[in-house]
Amino acid sequence: MSVILPYEMPALVTTAPLDVHRSTVLPEWVDWNGHMNLAFYVTAFDQASGAFMRNIGLGRRYVDGKHGMTFVLETHVTYDREMKGGAPMRFTTQLLDRDAKRVHLFHEMFHADEGYLAATNETIVMNIDFASRKSAPWPEQAAERLEAVWTAHQHLPRPAKAGRVMGLKKK
Amino acid sequence: MIEADPGAPLDIHRATVLPEWIDWNGHMNVGFYVVAFDKATDTLCNQFGVSWEYTREKIGMTFVIEAHVTYDREVKEGDPLRITTQLLDYDAKRVHYIHAMYHATEGYLAATNELMLMNIDFATRRSAPWPDWAMPRIEKMAEAHKHLPRPAQAGRIIGIKRKQP
Repeated sequence: MSVILPYEMPALVTTAPLDVHRSTVLPEWVDWNGHMNLAFYVTAFDQASGAFMRNIGLGRRYVDGKHGMTFVLETHVTYDREMKGGAPMRFTTQLLDRDAKRVHLFHEMFHADEGYLAATNETIVMNIDFASRKSAPWPEQAAERLEAVWTAHQHLPRPAKAGRVMGLKKK
Repeated sequence: MIEADPGAPLDIHRATVLPEWIDWNGHMNVGFYVVAFDKATDTLCNQFGVSWEYTREKIGMTFVIEAHVTYDREVKEGDPLRITTQLLDYDAKRVHYIHAMYHATEGYLAATNELMLMNIDFATRRSAPWPDWAMPRIEKMAEAHKHLPRPAQAGRIIGIKRKQP
């Protein structure tokens, strides 16, 4: 008994990986080391997760209409290169896995002008029922759109930085 | 330099969930969990003598190179937080540790954050060995923490776990 959403769905983007989210490093994201603080990479990536969710029909209207929410359960970030205040960011997002109420996403953040990889973020996002604040199946339209995205993404090569275990590699 | 705290885990960092950390879902946003944890990292670095003054005096910096967060339970505006820190491993220029965030009065685990922190030379912005004063402090903490059980949240691989048929 999944939720039926009463609003119109946006045009579905099935390019693989998803390559639609763009952003800029805000001045208040810069710390005393003179670069974007680690926490705000997570914020920036969370906005890229938001872009993925909007694409499957679960944007702001989903929460504002009190239909549901999406919560991050777990997240893993590799910090590959510094980003300064004002730097333009380009994000790509690959769907690695999905089930009835979760998605497993892999984001890459690039400096949009210089092209270098700044960070990666692997994350699990779960659908949440608005009233109970407990996990719930994807709304029907979102589940259909998620399957269309999965069809487009499932054959992409698995990113080298996915599935990492943190530790000191000793010689 | 402050006197090193002998606690295992380190259990001195306290904070409160600020109004600006709350998002449209009515709870602390994913990014601000990491802000809160990063302040606990400052508390840890202060134990080693490589915190704010270390960077202000242009001696060095510390950069996080990898982070893993588990979001275990929601916290709301004004909630008191208690953050403990366990050192898992270290080498000449890195420390590997895990923070656990608890609701300070209700006691439940709200989140964990496993981190790899690297020492950085101020001038070159490249990795460099820990300064002389920091290394003995890191070793001492590692010694105090080495018999702690390894938290289940350390070393996790992200994925959707399916029930076996």
